[in-house]
Amino acid sequence: MESVGNNDANRDELIIQQQREIEKEISDSTPLVSGQLPLTCLREEYNGDEIFTEKIRELSKKYKFIRRTRPDGNCFFRAFAYSYLEYLITNNTAYQEFKILAEASKDKLVQLGFPSFTLEDFHETFMDVIKRVNPTNSEENEKVKNELHTVFNEQGYSDYVVVYLRLITSGKLQEDADFYQNFIEGDFSIEEFRHQEVEPMYKESDHIHIIALCTALGVGVRVEYLDRGEGDQVKAHDFPEGSEPKVYLIYRPGHYDILYPN
Amino acid sequence: MSTPARRRLMRDFKRLQEDPPTGVSGAPTDNNIMIWNAVIFGPHDTPFEDGTFKLTIEFTEEYPNKPPTVRFVSKVFHPNVYADGGICLDILQNRWSPTYDVSAILTSIQSLLSDPNPNSPANSTAAQLYKENRREYEKRVKACVEQSFID
Repeated sequence: MESVGNNDANRDELIIQQQREIEKEISDSTPLVSGQLPLTCLREEYNGDEIFTEKIRELSKKYKFIRRTRPDGNCFFRAFAYSYLEYLITNNTAYQEFKILAEASKDKLVQLGFPSFTLEDFHETFMDVIKRVNPTNSEENEKVKNELHTVFNEQGYSDYVVVYLRLITSGKLQEDADFYQNFIEGDFSIEEFRHQEVEPMYKESDHIHIIALCTALGVGVRVEYLDRGEGDQVKAHDFPEGSEPKVYLIYRPGHYDILYPN
Repeated sequence: MSTPARRRLMRDFKRLQEDPPTGVSGAPTDNNIMIWNAVIFGPHDTPFEDGTFKLTIEFTEEYPNKPPTVRFVSKVFHPNVYADGGICLDILQNRWSPTYDVSAILTSIQSLLSDPNPNSPANSTAAQLYKENRREYEKRVKACVEQSFID
């Protein structure tokens, strides 16, 4: 059989190489996080599509701006981190609380069995980023927000923040494995799911990632779902249910961006 | 210039020197920290015992967010090793985690030598012999162990 003969060629590397070329094309054309754009800019993408045009009109009653993130599979984590830190810049008390929680998170992950040697590297960078967006006083807010934007567009920092949030998510799934097992489809164990769908970079996020991360950090997130679903309203969902949202995201099939409520 | 990848590789190297796992070793090449040479000693109580298998590890600036490319330089007869030395191992592909370091990579490859996965073969002959004719499999492995002394 021909397939047996082909087996010995190194297909994995060819596939990986092809993937990398596609990724490079995306990264050359879109920033990791864009500037604030008027929400109405979405219309252009769905020109002539009635359902979407109507839903965007409804959405623009509640939200003025959108901030795009690069569609690289890390968009949920990057959007979440950016949006939450941006909120913390305006709320010093919450910022200080989060800093303590973030500082303590490393020991918790080590206890859960993550290798402390490599964890340290990500944690240090994560804390660096948090310290760089320290809200000094309200007059300086704009300056700190610019700093946040700069940091999140530096690949090294930006990606390490994503890695660390992925590890926190993975840790939460492990800690409450009995609960999260219910969300997993198929024969995946929590262990397999964490290693295949959570920890590797560029793997897209699902509800289970969002719930685990929000719960671990105690942060409410509202996601607006812009899709072809019924009605002319965009459906919103809060994670964890009943929480007060601090982070607002828009989901279009396969991708998350940041929203700014009126 | 120090980049996150280079900084991390320096840390990996330091850890590998200070706390070396049994049966593996590795170090950056003289003039390029992005390319490493490594050696895995065949695990005891396996047909690979006594072999010294050389590998190269090539990192990109995206390490540790993306796995490096790891390749045997020595000839290795194994169900999950391609003819060109490439390795079919999930943690080097879709199960890569940024928490793995060089030490973890090398020890994982070492255990792959002891426990092949014949269901995702990179060398169909080796996979078939491993499943159906263990004696012949071990003979072929031992031949590459002897070869590894000379390489």
